[in-house]
Amino acid sequence: MTTTPSSPDTLIIGSGLAGLSAALHLAERGLKPLILEADPQYCGGRLAGGDMIEFQQNGQTWRFRLEHGVHGFWSPYRNLQAMLARHNLRPVFVPAREEAWIYKRANGRVTRVNAGSHIRHSIFPAPLHYLALFFSPRFLAALDIRDGLTLLEVWYGLVLALGVDPLREDQPLEDQWLSDLVDHWGPGVRAFMMGLTRNGLAGTPAEIPLSGYVAFMRFYTLLRRDAWEFSYLPGDSGTTLIDPLAKRIEELGGSIQLGAQIDRIERSNDQWMAHSRIGSFAARSLVLATDAQHTRSILCASEVTREVAETLYFPRSLPTLILRFWYDAQPKSKVEAGIITGDVIVDNYFWLHRLQDQYARWRKATGGSAIEVHLYGPPELLEKPDPLLLARAATDVHNAFPELRGHLIHQHVQRNAPLHTLFGLGRAEQHLTTVTPWPELYCCGDWVRRPEPAFFMERACITGIAAANEVLQARGLQPWATLDYPKPEAFAGWLEKLMHRGRRILRKRKSIKT
Amino acid sequence: MPTTVSNYLLNLTKLARGDRVLHPLIATYYVTTQCNFNCAYCEYFGARRNPQAEKPLDLDRAVKVLKIVRSGVDSLSLTGGEPLLHPNIDQLILRAKQEVQFRHLTLLTNASLLHDHETILPHLDRLVISLDSTDPVIWSEIIGTTPGVAHDVLNNIRTYAARQKEFGYHLVVNCVITPQTLSQVRSILDFCEEHHILISFSPQSVNNWPHYDLLTAQEYRDFVQHLIDRKRAGAPILGSHAYLSMLYDFTPYSCYPLLVPRVMPNGDLVYPCRPIELSGTTRGGRPCNLLDVKSWDEAIHLALHEYDDPPQTCTSCFQQCFAEASLLQAKPLSLLNELRYAPSRHGAVWKHAPG
Repeated sequence: MTTTPSSPDTLIIGSGLAGLSAALHLAERGLKPLILEADPQYCGGRLAGGDMIEFQQNGQTWRFRLEHGVHGFWSPYRNLQAMLARHNLRPVFVPAREEAWIYKRANGRVTRVNAGSHIRHSIFPAPLHYLALFFSPRFLAALDIRDGLTLLEVWYGLVLALGVDPLREDQPLEDQWLSDLVDHWGPGVRAFMMGLTRNGLAGTPAEIPLSGYVAFMRFYTLLRRDAWEFSYLPGDSGTTLIDPLAKRIEELGGSIQLGAQIDRIERSNDQWMAHSRIGSFAARSLVLATDAQHTRSILCASEVTREVAETLYFPRSLPTLILRFWYDAQPKSKVEAGIITGDVIVDNYFWLHRLQDQYARWRKATGGSAIEVHLYGPPELLEKPDPLLLARAATDVHNAFPELRGHLIHQHVQRNAPLHTLFGLGRAEQHLTTVTPWPELYCCGDWVRRPEPAFFMERACITGIAAANEVLQARGLQPWATLDYPKPEAFAGWLEKLMHRGRRILRKRKSIKT
Repeated sequence: MPTTVSNYLLNLTKLARGDRVLHPLIATYYVTTQCNFNCAYCEYFGARRNPQAEKPLDLDRAVKVLKIVRSGVDSLSLTGGEPLLHPNIDQLILRAKQEVQFRHLTLLTNASLLHDHETILPHLDRLVISLDSTDPVIWSEIIGTTPGVAHDVLNNIRTYAARQKEFGYHLVVNCVITPQTLSQVRSILDFCEEHHILISFSPQSVNNWPHYDLLTAQEYRDFVQHLIDRKRAGAPILGSHAYLSMLYDFTPYSCYPLLVPRVMPNGDLVYPCRPIELSGTTRGGRPCNLLDVKSWDEAIHLALHEYDDPPQTCTSCFQQCFAEASLLQAKPLSLLNELRYAPSRHGAVWKHAPG
């Protein structure tokens, strides 16, 4: 990344996908954005590329570029894909084939269910498509009588998600948590649904805001079967996505300043100033594209924004832990990824040699396999020392894939800073949207409040575009059009309308009584 | 010998078993990548790339390639570049039909050279001509030629539309919808109806994804809705309702690229599709040359050994060639509705045809 900060039009703090999206859309319209990134080496935030790790095998040195962790590119990520394609930056993705649910009970019994294809290729229309799982003998084998008794309650939870759209309806569902909904579910169904939710939201039911869960389910799975279609990047996210994106921004006249950890901002003479240890930067507009907690930290440390910022709601940011294991043998299962629940510490897994080229080439040469497992908590688990976590995670992997016992040749631990957004919705007056209470200061990121149903990378992108559009409109330039998201399937749409009508009637009766 | 019909039926049983290695329904042979036009939307070929174009095979070896293809399917599509630039195209088509015995033969051409190759017409079941605007000036800008040439091609289309019954082929106009031609496409539809021509539409792709200016244009969605309505009213528009609906909102679909395999001019098999082959990843490439194998099955076996099964789901190109075949294979009811445009010599569409 080069450093060319000269008279920028707009300062963008944070070079994650939100900041890069904002910068790209500004640079395309001829403005000169300057991105300020705290990391001294890499831009990209949670998609940044990392250092190389290497190990010896059969006298040969093998190198792999690290990243924050494997990400899924879901079919509803439309604005992100459109942005990449417009600049010929869209890689040839690796479509997901199957996702397994591996469930280890307390008695040590392990059940493996190929669940992903059942959901996305279900013969039942949304939101009934999960019923297809009940035609899988292995799924049924993972359940017990308690699951049968609580199925109606599970169904109620899903229908609730159909009846309320927290983002478009502005329903923060305050002080309601996922645990309120799922605590009484049967163990098998609960393990499965929590595995799905944890895979995305990374929290425990007691810490996941109900608004975040409902919005998450609506976007990723509940309204359409094909929302579950997704792909992987063919390589590490730095090489395949962020580096080309950053290069394109620079080609268009934008700049990226690495190592600029912004401590505070101030406003004088209609200019925003951003101060860091390596210097101060000034521009007419400022876009905060950092994660929620860093945004709070900057706003609360700055005199001009502190008073309001201290009253605002900022979603939590969670740390994650990524473990990678290399084996000199292949797993029997051909499934490339999945969730692991039950009496385990790992939350999901990805067979890297089936997803990424650098690992596929190594597999071809050596016959080996490599797995990446993610740990999302609880916090006290993530604080354990590396050797303990490696040993326990390897045990989980070997319980799921016993044929790999004795074949481990290399392992690696990566501790990610608390940047993963645990999305929840605050009250409208407390949760920042792209337009802030301060003039020409905008926010973007996957934690920012906007009515679009998008999540994570798509939310980062769409809020980045929205922030860029605010800057463009303030200068009289043409804003960018964005793509809407597919409508619910017919039955899901009908149920949604029915629920809304029911809620309106209830509200009306309530208001008459009062 | 396998046929499109037998392969289709076999594929239904394969899909029911979750097997994604499907038999081909129609194979495409790029007889040459040389071209005499420079279409703005063409990402692979065009006259500007002629210096890098692969040299076509001599006639006997090209026929040998076709014999291997025929061991997999009996429907063949010849394309390019501009296939009529192949030095032996007339003989190749004749031998494809008579010696190799393809039951169904399609030629995709820009029609600029068609008058020099009229002898091939009786052997074709379907003649596909590209047309992106009925205004010669606009069209010439899109295809990188002069308005005079564009005007001549338009006249060729009219001429060969009128001679469908005489030679026994169906004429199909293939239109790539681009932001520049969006305002023109309705006139192409009218043109085709007037001249009793089947028409198919595909959105322009950039980076294997629909063009941004189409994705965000209400005019584009209005046109696709118009297409759906016109098709319901009986207009001869190729494209199932499932495909046209997908063009409307770009919802993802399950892609089965092996249904429509590609073979390059030198006989290399492309696996599993052009975009993945060109990506340089470990998931696709050119696993073998058909001149070096004994059968289609052997070629696919080599491809699977080299690159593993084809991908599960594609949220990418939305091009009719891949998407339509995949949708029709996965949705047999959609196929029934499309059968009225079947490339049979006695297809119902002829009831409208002149001559």
